[in-house]
Amino acid sequence: MSSCGNPATESDALMPRRPKFDKGKNCVKCKDAPGNIVIRHAVYCKACFFPLVAFKFRRALEPFVNPKPDGPRRTALKPAGNLLLGFSGGVGSTVLLDLVNRSYIVNQKAELRRDGGKDHPRHDKVWKRVIVCYVELGDALPRRKDKTAEIAEVVSHYEDVEFVPLRVQDAFDPSWWRRIYGDQALPQLRVSLENEELAAVLTNPPSTEPLGSLRSYLSSLPTPTAVASALQSLIRVLLLHTAVETKSSHLLLGTSLTSLAISLISGIGQGAGFNIEQEIQEEWVPDIQPASDSNGSEWLGGYQKGVRIIRPLRDVGLKECAFWAWWEKLQVVGEDRAGWPESRQDIGGLTKDFIMRLEKDYPSTVSTIVRTCAKLSPRGDVSGKCVLCERPAQEGVQEWKARISVRTTAQATDAVVLSSSSTPRTDDAAAAQLAPHLCYACHTTLTSRNARPPPPLFPSVSKESSVTLPAWVGPRMRRKVGEGEMKAAIQEFLLEE
Amino acid sequence: MSTITLSVQFSGGLETLFGNRTAHTVALPARVPVDAAHWAASPAQPGSEQAGTEAETKPVDMAYLLHHLRARALTARPELFLEHGTVRPGILVLLNDADWELEGEGAALLHDKDEVVFISTLHGG
Repeated sequence: MSSCGNPATESDALMPRRPKFDKGKNCVKCKDAPGNIVIRHAVYCKACFFPLVAFKFRRALEPFVNPKPDGPRRTALKPAGNLLLGFSGGVGSTVLLDLVNRSYIVNQKAELRRDGGKDHPRHDKVWKRVIVCYVELGDALPRRKDKTAEIAEVVSHYEDVEFVPLRVQDAFDPSWWRRIYGDQALPQLRVSLENEELAAVLTNPPSTEPLGSLRSYLSSLPTPTAVASALQSLIRVLLLHTAVETKSSHLLLGTSLTSLAISLISGIGQGAGFNIEQEIQEEWVPDIQPASDSNGSEWLGGYQKGVRIIRPLRDVGLKECAFWAWWEKLQVVGEDRAGWPESRQDIGGLTKDFIMRLEKDYPSTVSTIVRTCAKLSPRGDVSGKCVLCERPAQEGVQEWKARISVRTTAQATDAVVLSSSSTPRTDDAAAAQLAPHLCYACHTTLTSRNARPPPPLFPSVSKESSVTLPAWVGPRMRRKVGEGEMKAAIQEFLLEE
Repeated sequence: MSTITLSVQFSGGLETLFGNRTAHTVALPARVPVDAAHWAASPAQPGSEQAGTEAETKPVDMAYLLHHLRARALTARPELFLEHGTVRPGILVLLNDADWELEGEGAALLHDKDEVVFISTLHGG
């Protein structure tokens, strides 16, 4: 009941709450059957609900399957590579896997049986391989259960789907990096988090303790928001490089409309407004050539086009996903956030609480958030990719930050001290500053401190003055610094624009 | 006094708040006091002949079921299940396989052998 007066003194002060659907209780599509679900004020029966969600899924995915998105649809889906699906075990990715299975695996087999003629081009699979990748966070956060076995069990129910389990510490594992990119570009980077310039040094040989490096990295981050954001970024880049490894041209994520609204608002709150377009859809091109391609692989063309990151459930709310999973009896393993008490106090957790409340009372507003964000385009030029999150970085971020804030700057000798004391074996050391190569959001993640420091993530892991960065940062820094040095050498011969 | 029996299921991680049991059978009185302030004194176990005799009564509804589950079945952290007298945002409810919003949420009337499902979407997506 909602109040329109003082119920203590007026007996008629309470009026009935307005129903959450616009017309009758019958389905708005078939007009006949009694409704089973209310989706943003519209009632649908169970029979009309499934085609509706499947249609929204295909509408968001299929126009982007072909390398040139404007070709004819459905009958001529010819992706440049395989399909990688990022699977978290949550409701969204569970429904996404089910929809991919129905639309592109089981469906194809059914057609084959019905028509015969197994060599007919109509029966060619859209995706030669469908790979599901799960990134386990069990070791990254305290008191968190390892769910790899449960996830593997869920994925094993689907035929013709490959399973690639990863652990988030693989991001710090030289052997994982070597598997994809070979021995080229192996040096890792250590960075000092003591000041905002982030003095860095390339180290060779790299660290051989990925879990220790991960925990040290997370423990050195200044806020719970930074920890959550860093983990999200690690998972995303791990998936991108796995897409390269599996020769996938498309990476699908199970981000629902609700989750997308949460990540957009939360991203803006953390300074990632410049990447709002990438949060909705992204085309990522690796700038390091995989080892298999350098050996003359046939997939060179696909590699050059990069990986298209698509969220096919971006028009499907979390409620629809949950109803789909329940009615289809899908097993949702879920993510256990309860094991990390700080997680609800970060910007992402607070945004999630806010959006969930908003969606309950005003269901259409969440869709409005996403549609409004899709119309935004950031100002300013791009100055290459951020070496940490591999998304476009805005030009002039450090100059702007220097103008508007009081900062702790590094002494000129910091990098030299770092290379001689913190890392005893720096055979191939090249000191540099990391800050100019980061986007605003990543720089903020590493440096923005609270007045009150957060409780330690792992009591046994002490905060270090310098930490190892993920495996992809060193090689990309070396390329960038190398390019800078080359440019400096020929500077006097360059023509002015 | 007549009673009704309901089948209640929890999914999406909510079962952890209810003794890790996904399926419950719940018996409720067919009529309950209109004023929620009397619910605490009303019989949680059917068969007792106290409530409904003095106070004005109404057919049992979802709001009473939520109160009953909180008082009798919940084993941990009630704030993760209920908020402001209804389920927390992010928890979906199905009554006989249909969205409870179609039946008026807390005001939806319950009948014998009804099936109620609570699904949490708070475990990521």
